[in-house]
Amino acid sequence: MNDTGKAKRALSRREFFKMAGIGTGAAVAASSLQPAKVANAAAAPYTDPAGRPARPWWVKTVDQPTTEIDWAKMKRYSERYIEEEDSGTVRGDGFAGYLGAEEAERLIKQGNDKMKQRLVDNVDGYTLKDHAMSAGQSATSVARSFLGPQKAKTPEERGVAKWSGTPAEGARILRTALRHMGASTIGFVELDENTRKLIYSMDPDGKILEFTDDPIASETETHRYIPNSCKYVIVYTVQMSEEAMKRSPTMTASQTTTGAYSRGAQIAAGTQEFLRTLGYQGLSEASTNALGIAPAFGVLAGLGEMSRLNRMITPEFGPMVRVFKMLTDLPVEPDKPINAGIMDFCRSCKKCAEACPSGALSFESEPYWETKGGWNNAGHKAWFEDATKCRTYWVSEAGTNCGICFGVCPFSKKDKAWIHEWVKAGTSAAPFLASFFRSMDDAFGYGVQKSGEDWWNLDQPEYGVDSMSVVKG
Amino acid sequence: MKTYTIQVLKRPWYEWVLWAVWFLVEIFVLQNAIASGAELEPRAASIFWMTFVVLLLGGGIVWFVRRARLAK
Repeated sequence: MNDTGKAKRALSRREFFKMAGIGTGAAVAASSLQPAKVANAAAAPYTDPAGRPARPWWVKTVDQPTTEIDWAKMKRYSERYIEEEDSGTVRGDGFAGYLGAEEAERLIKQGNDKMKQRLVDNVDGYTLKDHAMSAGQSATSVARSFLGPQKAKTPEERGVAKWSGTPAEGARILRTALRHMGASTIGFVELDENTRKLIYSMDPDGKILEFTDDPIASETETHRYIPNSCKYVIVYTVQMSEEAMKRSPTMTASQTTTGAYSRGAQIAAGTQEFLRTLGYQGLSEASTNALGIAPAFGVLAGLGEMSRLNRMITPEFGPMVRVFKMLTDLPVEPDKPINAGIMDFCRSCKKCAEACPSGALSFESEPYWETKGGWNNAGHKAWFEDATKCRTYWVSEAGTNCGICFGVCPFSKKDKAWIHEWVKAGTSAAPFLASFFRSMDDAFGYGVQKSGEDWWNLDQPEYGVDSMSVVKG
Repeated sequence: MKTYTIQVLKRPWYEWVLWAVWFLVEIFVLQNAIASGAELEPRAASIFWMTFVVLLLGGGIVWFVRRARLAK
């Protein structure tokens, strides 16, 4: 009996240690299942001299962007509609310009009537409290200005020399400053004879943007003068709430766009004053979407890749960002574009094009050089969209901006579940799996439109976004 | 005097490797199930929970069947 008992105990101990060993080994291995998490990354010092955040291995830095560009064919684009040329943005005067004044007026009236009826009928996402939220977000903005508030004391006024450092140090302190003012990701582009073409020829308010040898930027009734020395572009993203945008097209969704634009304007004003205090100039967007082509600068600064949306998609937040840009004469180290397999994925996915109620997005597998109209800027290969169809839907049907394509995009995910990181890595490393990932995205129910009313019952983080997701390496 | 022979049958090393893989997959699926709930993705959460339970039951059944076979 005793022998048997000892044998049993010995066996039991062996089993115990075996199981414990396996369990410990498995736990250690499991901790590495999520490929991109870095513990306490938020508190860690920069490992890169220019303050570039560590990114997952599947986000590769490349010399040329994944968008093909023919700089010889590219011209500076007017962000204001020019009737004589039938070109420029579809926003503002462009809507009537492209569709005709009478038709535009009819569509606007149709949209306004629908909006009023939805409000009266208390339609989900269009209730009075949804309108109130949108109005509230609009009120959080600060005045945008090309030259900035110019209230901060300059080094001269403080009796000190202006700040000096290497371009890498300049980039690093700007990244830190912008991040603390609310930017999600930050990158830099140095203007040359090619990238200058991405600065608009005319701002949305009709002022001409002109480069000058004068070292000080200035503004008149008709012109905004950019010193040639202001050759560094600061590009930054501001997160939108994925949870809100998945209510698109409603007021619940559009308020996050408005909120992101407001924060973008706050960051711009703050950065302009930051630069002024250092002894440098910061030239910002004088109005929404002014100064230059945001997605193009974003791509060149390595913040993301172009996509079927004809917008930039970031590896971190998918398309759930607004992109802003600013010019400065503070020397900063420029960044390189990236390849995270996003554009490759778009070739076969087409989920956004299928979901677009206006049929504005392309179903072509390959991007193309030919533009769809004067609202597109030639000189690069893209899935050019029919912006008049998109705008018509906004104005006449949705009554507010529409972000369905943003909401359904398989890159629009929160980062809590490990599977998303695996899929993104798989997308980059094995592009042939794109169709499979797209099918699985549908099967798992991602991108389904959610209720605007339910949104009011959610316990959400500040701004409805996860600010920690940007500090993982 | 009677003699008894005690036969100790050990599971082969590759079986332990397979169990370790099963365990890792279970952790992965469980994390996705819980996190999908937190992400407010009910369908994804349901699929992951279902996968977790099926794998758990499957693993349990295989474990007991193998144990019974080894015990014979």
